[in-house]
Amino acid sequence: MHFAYDTDQDDFRSSLRRFLADKAPLSAVRTAAESERGYDADLWKQMSTQLGLPGLHLPEEHGGSGTGLLEPAIVMEETGRALTASPYAACLLASLAVLRYGTSEAQAELLPGIAAGDTIATLAMTEPASAAGVAGLRTTALSRGDDVTLTGVKTLVEHGHTADVLLVSATGGDGGTRLYVVRGDAAGLTRTRLQALDLTRPVAEVRLDATPAVPLGEVADLAPLVDLWCTLLAAEMVGGTAACLDMAVAYAKDRHQFNRPIGSFQAVKHRCAEMLVALDGARAAAQYAAFAADQAFTSGQDGPELETVAPLAKAEASEAYTFAAGWTIQVLGGIGFTWEQDAHLYFRRAWADSALLGTPAAQRARLADRLGL
Amino acid sequence: MDVDYPPQAEDFRRRVRAFLSEQLPAGWAGMGALPEKEREQFREQWRRTLAEHQMLAVSWPKEYGGAGLSLVEQVVLAEEFALAGAPQGSENDTFGIGMLGNTLIHLGTEEQKQRYLPKILSGEQRWCQGYSEPDAGSDLAGIRTSAVLDGGEWVINGQKTWTSAGHLADHIFVLARTNPDAPKHRGITFLLVPMDQPGVEVRPIRNMAGYSLFNEVFLTDARTGAGEVVGAVDDGWRTAMALLGFERGVTATTDAIRFRAELDRLFALARERGVTSDARIRDRLAWCHSRVEVMRFRGLQALTRSLSGQPPGPESAISKIIWSEYAQAYTELAMEILGAEALAPTGQATGGLLQMPEAGTENSPLSWVETFLAARAGTIYAGSSQVQRNIIGEVLLGLPKEPRLDSGPFRELTRKRG
Repeated sequence: MHFAYDTDQDDFRSSLRRFLADKAPLSAVRTAAESERGYDADLWKQMSTQLGLPGLHLPEEHGGSGTGLLEPAIVMEETGRALTASPYAACLLASLAVLRYGTSEAQAELLPGIAAGDTIATLAMTEPASAAGVAGLRTTALSRGDDVTLTGVKTLVEHGHTADVLLVSATGGDGGTRLYVVRGDAAGLTRTRLQALDLTRPVAEVRLDATPAVPLGEVADLAPLVDLWCTLLAAEMVGGTAACLDMAVAYAKDRHQFNRPIGSFQAVKHRCAEMLVALDGARAAAQYAAFAADQAFTSGQDGPELETVAPLAKAEASEAYTFAAGWTIQVLGGIGFTWEQDAHLYFRRAWADSALLGTPAAQRARLADRLGL
Repeated sequence: MDVDYPPQAEDFRRRVRAFLSEQLPAGWAGMGALPEKEREQFREQWRRTLAEHQMLAVSWPKEYGGAGLSLVEQVVLAEEFALAGAPQGSENDTFGIGMLGNTLIHLGTEEQKQRYLPKILSGEQRWCQGYSEPDAGSDLAGIRTSAVLDGGEWVINGQKTWTSAGHLADHIFVLARTNPDAPKHRGITFLLVPMDQPGVEVRPIRNMAGYSLFNEVFLTDARTGAGEVVGAVDDGWRTAMALLGFERGVTATTDAIRFRAELDRLFALARERGVTSDARIRDRLAWCHSRVEVMRFRGLQALTRSLSGQPPGPESAISKIIWSEYAQAYTELAMEILGAEALAPTGQATGGLLQMPEAGTENSPLSWVETFLAARAGTIYAGSSQVQRNIIGEVLLGLPKEPRLDSGPFRELTRKRG
């Protein structure tokens, strides 16, 4: 019985937190996010080569370090806390898709570049009418001999305007859904960075018009990939919630009105307490989801648990994060409403993450289905 | 990371299961399935069985008649009893064994341990708690019950309230003010008081659900020996707080088990009423499932901390808020599912409940209405949600306290009060 991260994992978390605080404070995050690329390439180079983050969980034969999924969950939490502008999450999810669905050739071709940080890969699943990009897809794959082309529109593709490789979900002539590998420079590909609610994570619309593609693997159920994604987003949101609470508490201790710190008023103190209650529950859920995902990942066998725990953790973390981000602005008062103050960056991320892959209500609807209600 | 119990805990679990299946009546479905008039008799007999098998005072050391179980064994025992819907003792055992016994073992004199512990264990003495007063609820240190030494005895005057199981008790531990000239936390003494005397009168309070589970206790020149003090004279606040620490105990993983059983009932109710296709009801049911899972995950975290030697601390304030607010939410959902059926509810009653009905209670509209009514108490007793949020804010987040208006000698505070 040890339902907690171990000492090595705690040390890893601390050193990553120090690294991000040092190299990527929020002032640097803003600059990076406003750049055309939407992230700081030098920082990404250090995250890749110095810390080996994109390859942590990848097999050693592909240049990775062979950890389970707990370490990536820690990276998600810490980059979520720091709002790090980097393609880490995009590359992580894409690499998990390659591991899960890819042929051995596809793995050998794609994973070493991802592990080294040289290949920016991303999932292109969401469509205007399909939040998770699994069911109700309009993007189609057309096969002619060995050649495959994709036609359709994907949206909210993280780092979609710069990614070297896009993994696109589409329905083939046989009616089966699978992921296809599309190169960033492929013909018939139009990529447009969107004006996004979340300022610190670039997203793009990707239009495919008879764009050449290669199947990543066989027809497969993509729902387990969405569960992994929800699990990792939950970790990210827990990090963001913690950052909000830290910000609100620090301000409530420092800011004086009526000749006393505002944190001594119960009206403020109790809101901060409620944020911690929400964070604590969300953290427990996200940790359990990461644990269940890690068990499945390291054993290579899907357990039944992640099916219910992933949407649950996503919903809990979403509600904790939007609650904490909203109340942080309220605790900060007028200054919290300014562009210069960082609270709105978290508020934007909170609501964006919360809606991505389906709102809390949509997650609970999935959960209810899976509970047999 | 792993969530498996240590092998010796699983061995112990098998022993507890074997015990329960041997000792519980055939076809046992929980206390709630017994006719109400048989419950007390069963409880008495069951308590004797537990005592015989060293399953009563499981946390006490063996030298005092306890089972001397490790923490994880206590947790396993509590889990298995919760799963089986079997009581772990009588209502007074919560106070006698869980609170006072543990406190005496840590803070009592050897003479007190020898005198009280065997009688608590045998059931010869039934204890209740004299903490709250009409004017000292959240502000417990504001108690006004006085105790004055007179001829080798304490003479006690005042009124205690919300005394659970007080009508079944013959002894009460009392917080009394022994030095009104000291600041409020420093003039309190923790006294052990027999109730079988003219100066002690117990009057039941009927709660809003219609049941009498707690009482007022009037102390009028009640007497107890000069030596019946746990901890030092005027230092009873420390004893009082240590005792509340034991209250937190080993509930880490049992909350989730008990609320899971309730959620199963709620799911069954929703299915019986044919409302599981309603999007809003589905959403709320899935939310309830999530909250119970969060309790389970937090329980695993707490158990992990305990196993690494960390005692339960102020984070139990978070647990209290989570379960008590959840208790209101899920029973409100039951009311919504029942709709107009809740207005003249039928079926089996609970017989009175503090948190949830006894296992085996019929899934009746009346049981839900009573549970719904009882749920209002959870955010008030054992430290209201507002007190818990102060603890979370001040202890866990380090936020500054409010400026105090109650420093200085207690006597002057009461004078100001007019």
